[in-house]
Amino acid sequence: MADLSLSLFGKRLKNPVMNASGTLGYGSEIEPLWTVDTLGAYVSKGLSLLPHHGNPPPRLWEEPSALINSVGLQNVGVERFFKEKFPLFEERNTPVIINFFGFTEEDYVRCAESIGANRLILALEINLSCPNIKEGGICFGKEAQGVFRIVKKVKEATPLPIVAKLTPEVTDIVAIAAAAFEAGADGINVLNTFPAAAMDIENRVVALRGGLSGPFLKPMALRAIADISRRIPIPVIGTGGIMDHRDALSFLMAGAAAVQVGTATFVDPYAIPKIIKGMGAFLEARGIPRIDQIIGIARAQDSDI
Amino acid sequence: MDDIEGTIVRNEPVIPGHFRVSIRLARPMGRVRPGQFVMLRIPSSEVFLRRPFSIYNYERGVLSLLYKVAGRGTAALANARAKVRVMVLGPLGNGFTVLAGHEAIVVAGGIGIAGVNLLWSKLRERKSLFWGCTDSAEAGLVDDLISCEPYVSTIDGSLGCKGNVVELLGEHISVLKRPAQVFACGPEPMLSSLRALLGDERIPCQVLVEERMACGLGICFGCVRKTLDEAEPYKRVCKEGPVFDLWQISP
Repeated sequence: MADLSLSLFGKRLKNPVMNASGTLGYGSEIEPLWTVDTLGAYVSKGLSLLPHHGNPPPRLWEEPSALINSVGLQNVGVERFFKEKFPLFEERNTPVIINFFGFTEEDYVRCAESIGANRLILALEINLSCPNIKEGGICFGKEAQGVFRIVKKVKEATPLPIVAKLTPEVTDIVAIAAAAFEAGADGINVLNTFPAAAMDIENRVVALRGGLSGPFLKPMALRAIADISRRIPIPVIGTGGIMDHRDALSFLMAGAAAVQVGTATFVDPYAIPKIIKGMGAFLEARGIPRIDQIIGIARAQDSDI
Repeated sequence: MDDIEGTIVRNEPVIPGHFRVSIRLARPMGRVRPGQFVMLRIPSSEVFLRRPFSIYNYERGVLSLLYKVAGRGTAALANARAKVRVMVLGPLGNGFTVLAGHEAIVVAGGIGIAGVNLLWSKLRERKSLFWGCTDSAEAGLVDDLISCEPYVSTIDGSLGCKGNVVELLGEHISVLKRPAQVFACGPEPMLSSLRALLGDERIPCQVLVEERMACGLGICFGCVRKTLDEAEPYKRVCKEGPVFDLWQISP
């Protein structure tokens, strides 16, 4: 069998496949189908210091091959997460990335401070880009200065590795990634959902505003992964539109150290285990013994000018 | 609960705009409780996400769903022919809970009958069915499906009592035996009227509600219903529901 394991932020992961934040609930919900230790790492639902109710329904709208969501970051808060949800990952010995957000810079800092070190915590992932809440991440994520400030403050507040999760709705995503790196980020995650809206033409109203996800994101994410990983010397996690193992391998070849799968799980709840299996079979069939041999392999021939 | 491949055996109109599809599953589904649902992968490239459907019936490995063509997903499903393969995730969610020793009152509005049919067929308690339709054509949905004499109302008066089904229930409720319990599935105004009718006596009432879903598993938090739980008001219809205690959801 091909070896899918890799090192990330000083820890060993069994494979490079994670769920995208907010697309696998608290982990327990998927366990009737497959166990969370299938993942290279579990990425938590976006957490805030205090519980957050989220947005009133409706929260969903389907577009051709895409989904608009406006969940509004409903979550149980850091304290309840560690008390009620985290024991599953200890039981399964599964590394966890804690995704978190705030409404002010101080919220981010206090949230990061509240998360103690644990052998299973791989990193804290800063949501700089959630487009669902007015006071939320979008303000920080759209400007390099804002990203620099928030990442720096969070970095000073915690000894844990920091991943900055970027919004695609920017003029120069490499500049944003560079700001995160300069502020001390240990990794970059590109990208989050794209801000979007849907129209209800019968009632002549905007039916929903939210984040757009789905396979259309893949080529956009791929390009951002290639451009960022070429210039910024920290691991890039590739997220956006992955539907199968070919998409996931594309991201790795473009330079992603790991990938996150989101909306695909809604279409096929077994998408993640299938992707992991498909990656292994791809390498096997081509006589490639280890997954880390293909990471960034396409960079040399790719000119991004 | 699992994701199971199935083959469409039959997919035919019952009345105009309403279909019943029967799907033979490649292997048995887990134990089905009335009120539970499945997420069906629609065999069409125009439909991205799965669609939730109440389990209308399930026996001997054949799942049947009764549905109204209401949007892109159901329109595509209505075009699916026999022998087409589909994926069925289920059974999902929490079904109805029957209180022993209570007279069962089942209230359905329109296609809401699809959500309570299985419950009705399994109820062993004394029971009565109140069934509200737009017109006599819609009432045809259950002609050969439910073998009882339901209390029927139609909005246009073309069959049974003229008016809505909760008014009809209101005319009979005082003579129905106590203790009673109500099971309901129908449009939102029907649920509001039930709240008004049953409020004084606070008769136990479980309602099966509908919401757009993406995953059906509780992992996306997209299909919530507001409840009176102040700490965590938004409950997932797919996970904590789709059956809720009427007295615990927000008016």
